[in-house]
Amino acid sequence: MSSKAMNILKENLWTNNPIFIQILGICSTLAVTNNLRNTAIMTVGVALTTAFSSMTLSAMKDLIPRKVRMIVQVLVISFYVIVIDIVLRAYLPEVSKQLGPYVGLIITNCIIMGRAEAFAQANKPGLSFWDGLTSGLGYMAVLMAIALVREILGFGSVFGLRVLPAGFVPWTIMIMAPSAFFLVAMVMWWAKNMQAAKAKTAAGKPAAPAAPTAPAKA
Amino acid sequence: MKLKKDSIAYVVIFTFVVSALFVTLLALANEGTKPLVAANREFAAQSAVLDALGIPYANKDEALRLYKESVRPIEGSSPRAYRAAIDGREYLAVEQTGAGLWGAIVIVMATDEKVERIRGLQIIAQNETPGLGGRIEERWFLDQFRGERAGGGVRIAVGAESKGTGDADPDNGLIDGVTGASRTSVAFETIVNDALARARAVAGGAK
Repeated sequence: MSSKAMNILKENLWTNNPIFIQILGICSTLAVTNNLRNTAIMTVGVALTTAFSSMTLSAMKDLIPRKVRMIVQVLVISFYVIVIDIVLRAYLPEVSKQLGPYVGLIITNCIIMGRAEAFAQANKPGLSFWDGLTSGLGYMAVLMAIALVREILGFGSVFGLRVLPAGFVPWTIMIMAPSAFFLVAMVMWWAKNMQAAKAKTAAGKPAAPAAPTAPAKA
Repeated sequence: MKLKKDSIAYVVIFTFVVSALFVTLLALANEGTKPLVAANREFAAQSAVLDALGIPYANKDEALRLYKESVRPIEGSSPRAYRAAIDGREYLAVEQTGAGLWGAIVIVMATDEKVERIRGLQIIAQNETPGLGGRIEERWFLDQFRGERAGGGVRIAVGAESKGTGDADPDNGLIDGVTGASRTSVAFETIVNDALARARAVAGGAK
C-alpha cells in the first residue's frame, strides 16, 4: 500500500474521522444504532455508496461545469442508493423489508457529499474510491461501537443473541435516540482527549521545556 | 465548434446527457429485476398467510405447495380474505391495511371460524422506525396474538402498563406493546381491531 493510501486510511479512521472530528452523518448515528444488525447493514450501504460515488464523480470531474457540480453529485449519489435499493429488493428481500425507509435515507448522509466535495473533486478515481471506502469504515467503526453498547444495555443481546442473564432489566433509554447523543458525545470526548494527549507528547519531546503557554484549542 | 465548460449551452447539454444516462441505467436495472421483485412480493404475501395460519414450512418450494394445498382465497374479496382447513377445522384469514406512525402497515390475521380467538398474525409490509416501531415484526411481539381471546377486541398495553417482554395470558385480550414505540403500538391496536371487525363480516358472508 502506498504511503498516500495509508495516510488516507489513518486520516479517515482516526485523525479526520467523519463522526468525531468532522461531525458528519450524525442523524443516522442517532437513528440506527440501537441494534448491531441494522447498523452493520446501514454502514456497509453508506461505505459502498461513498466509495462508488466518489470514484464516479472523480472520473467525470473534468467534464462537470462548476455551476451544476452539486446537482451532478446528488444525481450520482442517488443513482447508487437506488441501485442498492433495487439489488436488496430483488436478491435480499428480507433485508430490504427490515431496513425499509433507511435505504433511501443513505442519500441524506452528509459524509457522501462531503467526500465528493472535499476529496473526489481534486483526486484520481482509484484514490477517491479508497477515500470513500475508508471514510465509510471510519463511520462504521464508531457506529458499531455505539450500537454494541446500546444493544447490550437496551436489549441484553449482541446481534440478537442474548448475552446478559434473563434477570437483567433493559435500559429503555438505550433503545431510544437520546442515548445515542450521550454516547456520541462520550466518543468525541474520548477521541479528542486521546488526540490532544498525543499532540502534547509529540510537541513536548523535541522542544525544550519552554514557558507554559495556553493549550491550543482545535 | 468547441463549447466552453461554463457556457450555458454546455451546462444544459451536459446536465441533460448525464441525467438521461443515469436514469436510463436505473430504468434498465428496474426492468431487469421486475419479475424477481414481483415474485418476492407474491411469496412474502403467501408466506405471511401461512405464518398467520400457523402452517409451518421449511423452504420456499414447500411454502408454495402448502399454500396451494390448504389456502383458499375467497373469490372477489377486497382486501383479500382466505379460508383454510387445518386438521379438519376451518379458519379464516383477512388482510388489513392501516396507518402506522410513518406509513401504511399491512397485516394478515387468521382467526377461527367464529372469530372467537386469533389464530395468528403476520406483517406483510410496514415502514416503522427500524429498532423501535419496526420491532412489531419480532417473534415475541407477534406470538402474543396466538390463541388470544378476541371476543371484545384486543388492547395493546403501552407506557407503564407494558412489561416490554410479552403478555403470556391468552384470555385477557391484552398484548404487551413495544417499548419506545407507543405510537406504533397504539396504531397497531387499531389495525388489529379493524381486522377483527372485517373477519366477523367475512364470517357472516361478506366479501
